[in-house]
Amino acid sequence: MNHELRQPEDDDPVVMTVDERSVWVYLVVVVVTSVAYFAVIIPRVLSQPVEDVSWIAPLLWAIGFSIVGTIVGSIVGSIGGAIGLAIRGIEPKGQLEGDLRDKEIKRLGDRRAAVVASSAMFGVLVLAMFGADLFWIGNLVYLAGVIGGLIETTTKLRAYRGGL
Amino acid sequence: MPPKPTKVTNQIRALRSESGQMTQADMAERLGVTRQTVIAIEQGKYSPSLEMAFEIARLFRRPLDEVFHYAGGGADNQPFS
Repeated sequence: MNHELRQPEDDDPVVMTVDERSVWVYLVVVVVTSVAYFAVIIPRVLSQPVEDVSWIAPLLWAIGFSIVGTIVGSIVGSIGGAIGLAIRGIEPKGQLEGDLRDKEIKRLGDRRAAVVASSAMFGVLVLAMFGADLFWIGNLVYLAGVIGGLIETTTKLRAYRGGL
Repeated sequence: MPPKPTKVTNQIRALRSESGQMTQADMAERLGVTRQTVIAIEQGKYSPSLEMAFEIARLFRRPLDEVFHYAGGGADNQPFS
């Protein structure tokens, strides 16, 4: 059996870089954890006063899963990508690492997410001024993180797929 | 709304064929970028930096304006004479 790996030809399928793969993982993780979090919290909000809602533990779980899920998913995705190439007989080295274009796409996505983060800070300030319950402040920050994550990832994927 | 392609078009695909079947992977390796980036440049989905554009032109031993063409601009952008 021949184990020699070759460089890809022009008609070989294009694989995602590690950076693009990580963006997909992050998008899936943000959607799954935020849907799970709000599925737990919203029924509680509807059934009892906001001050009595237990939200800190679910929020910590959601954030924890987001971080761990993104890290593990990115690592698994990268290894899977390399194995997939090797199975097709293509040398993975040089196919998966990011370059200047990945950095530019990252900067674009981060900039859009920063706009959401700064808007949320203003919102937190207003809530604090009016003495809102900590539930609203904590959840506004989390919601801003979710929206920022969605905007960041969709911006990046749009740049990867459509153009920069 | 789909993203707009860049206004910079290029002859890279044709030049690769002319230069003895240089593959996208070969070109990517010589430029120190990914094959994905070479494909994005060829398809007009990514405008390379000026530095990379010069490197690409040098790779094919052509002047920059034989490799890249700028489709943007109007009468206001005509050369000063």
